[in-house]
Order: sequence, then C-alpha cells, then structure tokens
Amino acid sequence: MLKGKILIVDDSEMNRSILADMLEEEYEILEAVDGEQAVTVLEEHSADIALVLLDIVMPKMDGFGVLAVMERNGWIEDLPVIMISSESGSAQVARAYDMGVTDFISRPFDALVVRRRVVNTLLLYAKQKRLMAMVEEQIRETERQSSLMVEILSHIVEFRNGESGQHILHVRTLTDHLLRAVMRRTDRYELTSDDVTRISVGSALHDIGKIVIDAKILNKPGKLTDEEFAVMKTHAMKGAEMLDALVEHRDDPLVRAAYEICRWHHERYDGRGYPDGLKGDDIPISAQVVALADVYDALTSPRVYKAPIPHEEAVEMIMEGKCGAFNPLLLECLAENADSIRQDIVTDSDRTVARESQNIVKDSVRPAPGDAVASERTLRLMDFERMKHSFFSAMTKELQFEYTVAPPKLSLSPWAAEVLGLEEIISNPGQNKRIRTILGEDGWSRFSWEARQTTPESPSASFDYQLTYNGQTRWHQIVLRTIWTATTPQRFAGALGKAIDNHDAHERMISLEKKAARDAMTGLLNQASARERIRRRLEERPEGRYAMGVFDLDLFKSANDSRGHQFGDRVLKTVAERLTHSVRSSDIISRTGGDEFMLFLEYNTDLERTIDRIFNSLCGDYEGYDISVTMGVARSETAGPSYEDMFREADSALYAAKRAGKRRYCFYDCSMRDVLRAETDVDERNGRN
Amino acid sequence: MTMQECYRAIGADYDDVLGRLRSERLIQKFVLKFLDDGSFDLLCASMDSGDLDTAFRASHTIKGVCSNLGFTRLGKSSHDLTEALRARNAEEAAGLLGQVKADYEATVSAIRTYKAEAGL
Repeated sequence: MLKGKILIVDDSEMNRSILADMLEEEYEILEAVDGEQAVTVLEEHSADIALVLLDIVMPKMDGFGVLAVMERNGWIEDLPVIMISSESGSAQVARAYDMGVTDFISRPFDALVVRRRVVNTLLLYAKQKRLMAMVEEQIRETERQSSLMVEILSHIVEFRNGESGQHILHVRTLTDHLLRAVMRRTDRYELTSDDVTRISVGSALHDIGKIVIDAKILNKPGKLTDEEFAVMKTHAMKGAEMLDALVEHRDDPLVRAAYEICRWHHERYDGRGYPDGLKGDDIPISAQVVALADVYDALTSPRVYKAPIPHEEAVEMIMEGKCGAFNPLLLECLAENADSIRQDIVTDSDRTVARESQNIVKDSVRPAPGDAVASERTLRLMDFERMKHSFFSAMTKELQFEYTVAPPKLSLSPWAAEVLGLEEIISNPGQNKRIRTILGEDGWSRFSWEARQTTPESPSASFDYQLTYNGQTRWHQIVLRTIWTATTPQRFAGALGKAIDNHDAHERMISLEKKAARDAMTGLLNQASARERIRRRLEERPEGRYAMGVFDLDLFKSANDSRGHQFGDRVLKTVAERLTHSVRSSDIISRTGGDEFMLFLEYNTDLERTIDRIFNSLCGDYEGYDISVTMGVARSETAGPSYEDMFREADSALYAAKRAGKRRYCFYDCSMRDVLRAETDVDERNGRN
Repeated sequence: MTMQECYRAIGADYDDVLGRLRSERLIQKFVLKFLDDGSFDLLCASMDSGDLDTAFRASHTIKGVCSNLGFTRLGKSSHDLTEALRARNAEEAAGLLGQVKADYEATVSAIRTYKAEAGL
C-alpha cells in the first residue's frame, strides 16, 4: 500500500528532522522550510498530501499566512493541519483553531504523542470524507430527480411550440452564467449560490403558460395580428397562475422563483414590458436575467419565422435596445462574458441534468466557513437516508455492502448483516473466516479481480456468484461500483455494491442452456455443443488418450419406410438410450444429425474391448426390428488432440467399415487415407457427390 | 564521557529527552546535529545589525530546539531572550544575549568533547 504523505513545515531543520524521524516509518515525508515553500509544495501536491504539520513562527510567511492561503484555496476543508509550536498563548491557539487547524502539538515533541495525534487526525478526516460522500450521493439522486421532472415538464411546452428543447437548455445555461457574473460584480441583489441554482432550474419553466395558448397562434409562421399578439401575451400571467395554483407548494423557494420568472420575464427595465409594466429593480432579478437570456437565445436560434442571427450581431442588437430595455448591469455582464457564453451555448447540447444537479449538491453540501463540517442538517439528512436505505434494502432483499481499502473495512446494510450473520462493520474482511465461508476459498480474490477490471471511467462490474449462508449455496448477481481517489493518478479506494439472490432465475437459465445444447428428440447433446465440449476436453488435457466414434444406423430408411416415421423416431430414442447406458457419464455422446451419432471417451487400457462392448449393446432387436449400426473409430494417439482431425479419421474409418459390409466397427489406420481419397475421386468423377 | 554525563555537564535533562524520543541513537543523532545548527550564528549577526525580527526568529528556533533536546539551561536563557525580542525590547535583549552566549558555548563545548571521546 502507498504511504500517506505528510508535509512538515518548520524553519528549523532540526525540528523537521525530529518529526520526520518519528513519522517516516509509516508515512512519506515532504518538508518545507518556510511558509512560502509550504504553499508551493501544497500547490503541487495538495491532492495527495494527507496531513500538514505546521510551525507558527517562520521567516517569509508564518503559519497563519499558510493557513490563510489554504483557506483561500479551499484546501483547509479536505486537508487536516496540526499546528506545532511552543507558542501556547491562548490567543494564538484560538486564532489557529478559528482558521481551521485540527489539533496542536507542542514542543518538546513526544514521539508517542506525535504519532497518535497524526493517526487520530487522519482517521477523523477519512471518516468525515466517507460520510460526506455518502450524503452527497443521496442528495444528488434526489436533486437529479426533481431537476429531471422540471426538464420533462418544460420539454412538453417546447415540444408543443415545435421547438427542439434546446431553447430551455440555453436559457438555463445563460441564466446561470449571467447570475454568477452579477454575483461577482455586486451584492446588491443578495444572491446566494442556492438562489442562482434555483433560478436556473426555474428558468426552464419560463414559458409553461404557453401550454394554454392556441397552437394556431403559437406556431403561426407569419407575423401575429394585434389580437393574436394580445392572446400570446397572456402566457406570462397564465404560467404564473398555474404555479400559484400549486397550493401545497407555492411557498417552495423553487416555485417562488419560477413564479417570478413566468410572470415577469417579458417586463422591461424601462417599464414598457408586460403584463404588469414593472420598472427597474421592481422586476425581480430572476425575471430580469431570464428575460435577457430568453431574448438572446431567441435571436441566435432559428425560429419558424426567422433565421438565426450570429452571436455578435445579437449582442449588438440587444445593446442598442432593439429588443427592449434591460438593466445596464446585466448588459455589462452579457458583453463581458460574451465569449464564454457563446462557448457554453455551443457545448450546451451535450450537457445533462447531472451537471446542474452536481452544482446543487456542491452548494448544499459544502459547509459555510466556520460551520462544523457535518452540520446538524447534514446529520439529519443522513439519518433519514440511512433509515430509508435500510428499509428499501430489506424490501428488495438486496445485500448491500461497502468496502474501503484504507483502512480495510467492509460495511454491510443492517439487513445484509442480519441475513449473513455478520457484524455491520468488519475490519480486514479479507482475513475473516466467516466471510471466507460465505464466499468460498477463492471468493475474496475473485471479488478483487472483478474490482480490478474496472476503471475510474467505467467503474461498474456485474457478475454471478454463489454465496453460502443459512446452510444454502445460492447464486447471486453481484453488482459493484468501485470508488477512486480524487488524486492524480486515481487510485482504487474501495467499492459499493449489492448482491441479489437470482438463484431461481439462474437455475432456469442453466436448464434453458441445457435445452439449447441438446437434441430435442433424444436428449443427447447436439453436434455444436458436443464439439465445444470435446474441444475443451482436448485443450484441458491434450496428453490424455481419447477415442472418437461416429456411427449411423444401417438401412434406417427402410425402418421409416416400412413402419412409419414415428417408429423411426422411437428407434432413434432407443439407440440414444442404449448409448447412454453403455458409456460413463464423463464420456461425451451426441446425436450429430439424422441417424448419425458420435461418442467421445478417454481410455486407459483396452480400447478395442470397450468399443466392442458399446457396439454390441447398440445392436439388437427393438420391437421386431433389428437395429444395426456401423461405426468408425479414431484415436487421438494417431490423429492428434484435435477435434477436426479425430472427426475426419473417424469418418474415414466409418466409410471403410461400410465398404467392408456394414454392421461392424472399424478403427482408423493410415492406409485408409488413400483409400478414401481414391474412392472420393471415383465418386466425384462419376458425379455422385 | 557518556551522553548522560554530557547532558549533566550542560545542565540538560537526559531522562526527559529519553522519555520522549525513546531512542539513544536518535538523541545522539540530534545532539550532534545541534553543532551544525546555524541559528546561533544568525542570532549573533542579527543582534549586531539590530535586526530584531530575525533575531527573534533565531532565538525562538534555538529555544524550540533546546526544548526538544531537553537542553534546560540554554532553553531557559533563550526563552528569556525570545520574550524580550518579542516585546522588541532591544536593551533588555542585548543584556540577555550574554547569558545565551555563555550557555551556548558551554553546551557546544561539552558536545564537542563527547563527540571527540566517542571518536565520531
């Protein structure tokens, strides 16, 4: 396993050296001689440093300076810092804690204390990270779903408008962009990151009022009449009314934002818009921004009544007030971000809801500076999700598990733990006896192998596996998703997964496979699957001594002709039964087609006696009909361990046996090759083949 | 001269340092390293030139190192000097420098004797 990296920042080489000596056995040590160097090292390695030991009094930049930089770059959230110092003044200590320091180690250093503090801090952070990731995953799913609903709804409107659905995507991207630009420039509107996300999501609903506008007006290619335009204009108020009618939800912040947007996205800054003729900042900033985004995208997109206008020209038209008056601040934001906006719109088509919801997640999960990392809200959410989770996992009979590499630990859902008779948390699961019983001897390495086949880009794996518990061994479908570190290169950090009992389905599948491999009438293997099995047998142990026999029924046609096809079928079944009873279960037997059969066996001693016995058991009376067969036999000793060669030689021997007068068996020998060739030549010449 | 005798000679606490570093080898390594530490020269130079900031940091470093090595006597005098420099009291600092110098010389000379006798 890779050692965790620890950065030691101290201007005294001696002090660094003492600390390094105490820690270098378990960790890889990086050193910096002052604050500035520490920042440089952090810039390069912040992703794979696990912990910083930081002195306070140093030349160039002191410890507090380093903390300030870490705070500014957001490193302090993920990277624990332990302060080392003899400065024990409580003001200093308080200031350091305020700036995000996790712990203090004071001089003189005590080896045990230093090691223990380092380990504790690392464990604490690792645990916190896992919890955060869990919550993030859950929230992401919820947000993704509600975002998806909004998207579906707005696409319905777009569809009715005869547009591609790109418009709402564009408006949303533009809205997000403009709002973030506004946030950077002023706090006049008191926008938070949550607001921006809400407004962007809500912007997708800006035209829902159009659902009640007559399609003839909506999709009219030419210019609207005054009456038609008056109808068209009602869509703003209609949309707002629809949202207001959601009695239970109208106070939801998202619905509030959508309401403002629907109602006022056609207002203009100079009061000349509709429906209310609001002026200036009486128009909510959400509606102002969406109005501008709407106009921009309407200009640059093709419509039934116009061709698309290029980006530069569209911006110019808006600036000149040709599309009505806008907030000068927004116009500045548009002009300033024109390039990146165009870029985003171009790549927009590939964007999905996922990206957006990631933003939501980031904003809601990231703690405000100074907050405890796992806020009460987070913990409450987590509790709820855990409850939900265990409920569903018990409902669906899924055995859910989570594995982390460092420390090696397996966590099971409560239901899984109960069913498997394991603790919910198991350290060093690879060495656990009970787990070995459940997975089988090689089980752990099979799971590791499956996990290693995944990559950060394609982290999922699914395979069928037999688990043993409750005294039963049953097939399960295992679904894994591996987790990777955020470092470069990404390293395997663990996996989430579940096992679903699919034993019954699996059994059905196996019996179907059996059926597919078999001849329906006799239940023997068909030729393809017999060939497959023989090949496998030869590959597994090419040095074995094998024999292959091929035979067909003599004068079978006459049985069919004189006693009917049903009788013929019964004869074939009888031959199959006799064959089955005269060979061992490990031998391979097949009906290769019509009245032709094949057998394949491994032998040690007297092959001729074995073949003679089989031959004799096949022949003989059946309901007054004398079953008689002719067989050719090939040996791997002469043919080599190849299906094709053995088959060809057995076939030659069969041919030779028939020529010698049927109802007999014949072993292949070299002379037959030429006989066969000569015969074939004659046959061909006579046009008989 | 054993390391323990060396510690006694310079007014330092051997039991304390052994309790913390838990290895005689490490103690020897760091004690010998003390001879190469440039902080004392930096302290003298910056006191001469009246650079109180640098002097403070140098004195602070000496104090920290002494604390880690259990050099009680030099630790005490450098602590006093550090505090005077932190308060930017140049006059008091100049007065305290003498004691630091004396303790430092005594410490270094004992370590050198130990080093020579140990044939290192």
